[in-house]
Amino acid sequence: MELFFQDLVNGILAGGIFAVIALGFSLVWGIMNIINLAHGAFVMLGAYIAYVLFSAFHLDPFISIPIAFVLMFGFGYAVQRYVINFVVRAPMLTTFLLTFGLALLIVNVVLVIFHGDIKGITTSYSGANFTLGPVTVPWAKFLTLIAALAITVLMQLFMTRTKTGRAIRATSMDIGAAQLAGVRVAHIYAIVFGLGAGLAGAAGVLVSMSYSLQPSMGDPFIIKAFVVCVLGGLGSVEGALIGGLVYGILESFGSQWIGTGLQDAVALVVLLIVLVVRPRGIMGKATA
Amino acid sequence: MKNSRIAAICAAALVAVLALPATVTPAAADDSTIVFGAALAATGRDSREGALTRDGYEFWKDYVNSHGGIKVGGKTYKVAIEYADDETNPQTAARLVEKFISQDKVNFILGPYGSPNSASAAAVVERYKVPMVEGNGSAEKIFNQGFKYTFAVLSPARRYLEFVIDMALHQKDKPKTVAIVSANDAFSIEVAAGANDYALAHGLKVVYNSKYPADTTDVSGIVSAIKATNPDLILNGGHLQDAILLQRGFKEQNVNAKVFAYSVGPDTPDFRKTLGKDADYVFGGTQWSPTAKYKGAPGFITDSKVYAAEFAKKYGHIPDYHNAESSATCLAFQYAIEKAGSLDPQKVRDALASLDVVTFYGLLKFDDRGINIYKPMAVNQIQNGELKTVWPTGVQNAQPIYPTPDWSKR
Amino acid sequence: MAAEAASGATLRRVGFGGITGSRGAFFACCGLLVVLLAVPSLHNGYIENLFRGVLMFATLSLGWNVIGGYTGYVSFGNVVFFGLGTYTTAMLWDKLHQQNIAIAIVTAMAVAAIFALVLGVPILRLRGHYFGIATLGIALATQEIIANIDWLGGGSGVTIRQIDNFSLYYYAMWAVCTASFLATFLIARSKLGYAFVAIRENEEAATILGVDPTRYKVLAWMISGMMAAAAGAVFAGANGFIDAPTAFATDDNVFPIVMAILGGVGTIAGPLVGALVLTAINETLWSHFPEIHTLFFGAVIVLVVLFLPRGILWLFKLRGGWRGFIASLKVYRV
Repeated sequence: MELFFQDLVNGILAGGIFAVIALGFSLVWGIMNIINLAHGAFVMLGAYIAYVLFSAFHLDPFISIPIAFVLMFGFGYAVQRYVINFVVRAPMLTTFLLTFGLALLIVNVVLVIFHGDIKGITTSYSGANFTLGPVTVPWAKFLTLIAALAITVLMQLFMTRTKTGRAIRATSMDIGAAQLAGVRVAHIYAIVFGLGAGLAGAAGVLVSMSYSLQPSMGDPFIIKAFVVCVLGGLGSVEGALIGGLVYGILESFGSQWIGTGLQDAVALVVLLIVLVVRPRGIMGKATA
Repeated sequence: MKNSRIAAICAAALVAVLALPATVTPAAADDSTIVFGAALAATGRDSREGALTRDGYEFWKDYVNSHGGIKVGGKTYKVAIEYADDETNPQTAARLVEKFISQDKVNFILGPYGSPNSASAAAVVERYKVPMVEGNGSAEKIFNQGFKYTFAVLSPARRYLEFVIDMALHQKDKPKTVAIVSANDAFSIEVAAGANDYALAHGLKVVYNSKYPADTTDVSGIVSAIKATNPDLILNGGHLQDAILLQRGFKEQNVNAKVFAYSVGPDTPDFRKTLGKDADYVFGGTQWSPTAKYKGAPGFITDSKVYAAEFAKKYGHIPDYHNAESSATCLAFQYAIEKAGSLDPQKVRDALASLDVVTFYGLLKFDDRGINIYKPMAVNQIQNGELKTVWPTGVQNAQPIYPTPDWSKR
Repeated sequence: MAAEAASGATLRRVGFGGITGSRGAFFACCGLLVVLLAVPSLHNGYIENLFRGVLMFATLSLGWNVIGGYTGYVSFGNVVFFGLGTYTTAMLWDKLHQQNIAIAIVTAMAVAAIFALVLGVPILRLRGHYFGIATLGIALATQEIIANIDWLGGGSGVTIRQIDNFSLYYYAMWAVCTASFLATFLIARSKLGYAFVAIRENEEAATILGVDPTRYKVLAWMISGMMAAAAGAVFAGANGFIDAPTAFATDDNVFPIVMAILGGVGTIAGPLVGALVLTAINETLWSHFPEIHTLFFGAVIVLVVLFLPRGILWLFKLRGGWRGFIASLKVYRV
């Protein structure tokens, strides 16, 4: 019975990270209709930024979060404005492959700079934990969850309370009307992509504290991001959060009962069930 | 429609692909150098271990070249080693080995790191009938295929953790239960199987035995499950990355046991560096230790302590068993070539098959499958940040600290 | 939706060509295949390996072309069929000590066909992005499941004893590639091909006109799967060792797509030309820059997608010279 609660907590803790990763992914997909296969690579870049800042300046990863966000935002903005923009309205195959190629490029540049060996961040509080009844909660993972929730809340405020946020939502609803209202769509698209990258970078910092770092670490997150988006509902911040937490729990129990090696199989089954039973996801709005 | 242009493209591409090999110049295979080809991981999951292997090969090469080279028949030859990155990918390893043999025309092949890569390289050398000696792929599966041209100087994977259990059984406060967890790859599976069988044969109860994907990044579920079974011994078959993740996970979830043991990890400097104090008290199975008391045959360093000192002088750290077994790999070739008195692949292969020589690393002798079942393994433990050999008593330079103190008491 | 219809019109305006592509390309490829028959006589293991790879990728690309190019359902997981093919050969050897390549190919094709049939009906109901990611998910999940079944070799993989006449693997791959090439040719010129393209251009309209989309989509996926599985069956024997990561490698998943694009999606000759050119590029990079060849390859993919989205062959059909080229690049931007 203890194991059940420990699995539940493990799932929630992991789910926070999934939520932030999915948030950026969902933003780009929902608003620009682009599935960014380089999203995992962006997460990886965030993790490596945290690693560099930690090993060179002993900067605690939590402080690196906003730094990584800003750096990755700039990077994402540039990538969209000057590369992806050329194919932003092309058929799906083109954008799929372009983002795949970008991912390959990014991963290999990191490989050349940092080499393939596994790196990790070990802070002074890594391993420290507290107990909650029968459950042991590692401090690092707990603080990660808090950070993830904070990021989600901030994003929601941004989307609803700021002018840019409203411009973004207008563009996603009707691009023609938005242009007529004076929205510079190319700029908005670049901002959206930059936000997606920034969120991925922030998530990467969170990931770096609990997982080990290598250039290919971002790959598994793409499928998970996709499933979380479908599960939670595309186009909403709450959707990404709920989807992330639910998926984290599902994966935790799934690994325990079916076998740790079958995480992606679990993801796929969840995906297929959702697509058949409730395609709009838990929090999604029914579309025509 | 420009048909001719399409034909031109096709023809150009065809010619380009055919002409490619000509652009890559093979190693200068001159008359007085023995050339070895080595496909090693410089990138990918096993890149650290690949680097350790390479250092072991290079150390041997530099020693041999500065001490007159290898005598073949009446002539003395220098040694050269060609390296290529197999990206921790078995297919790439096979392609590289094939290229070494058919394009670059090397004399012999030194094995890659890791069992999958060794397995796929073994298939290639078998086809071309060129002998290969390896020191880093211990899965017995490789040697149950009936191959005649592959030899391994290291003890089989199954043995890695057996002596850890043996050590625990010889202490007061004997263990009763064992938890085994392993990565889902050939080497780790065999380590786990060996540990499992040994434990059962010696009256221990195996309370947990499961596998995780080889490139896993999150082990919290496994750690929780192990904790729930409350084992006395926790044994892991895997590689450096998983060892670090697991040890960290055990601290995070406050899992205590009498023994934490890993097949790969504790011996490498990176394990101790990354985990710091959390690495203390961890046990590891080892193929070799600087405390080994073998007296090697002439032609190379005869004493383990001297090998360790010379290696440390050159590379800045005490050699771990990966370094040593890689040097031993080359040693096997050295003695076999001298015994055969020729560079003919067949003769060298036969000399390898009948090799029987003691080295600083241990006895180099292969059974009829090609693997070295004649060399025993030992157990190391990290004590206060330093690696000590603690079992068997014949080679120990420190007593094992058993049982491992609780996390809260450290 | 509107964007896709508009892009279709743009495609026709810049001269995309019909279903069969150009005749010249087709005959050039026939000639190429004949020439490739001579490779084993060079007695160079490395070159034979290289061209066997070209033939293998060409087959995978031809297979992908059927479902992705002609039918318009972009599959990002066709490697699952390749992997199933490799394991078929592995199991035939491991359990039955059967080394016959022809038997392996036929069995692999049967396995792939059943797999595509069973999964195709639910999966092919998804469109666009969802179908793409679902196929990716299937490939990943199948890889994981197989890696966890000990009877299939589990994490250790399976070693396959190779036949003595090693060049037979080359000829077998050649046969598989040529058969796939001819099959594509026959399909393109038949009612089947028109049904596929009709589904791609406008699935609803096709239904009204009497084309049962489910039946044809599944058939397309089955055909593409059978080609991939046949290639996998031969590859396993040639490689001598199969484990889950080798069988379902990402390279084998993505390269065929890039090759199809490079050569020309939805044409007969495209995949073969793309396979040859891309292998030439990849091999050159690998020989001269082993450390960073994957990096260059990522750059190649990006450049191909940005500047040659309709393939090399289209470059010669383009009207309007440089201006036309630049204009075509601006079609999809915002």
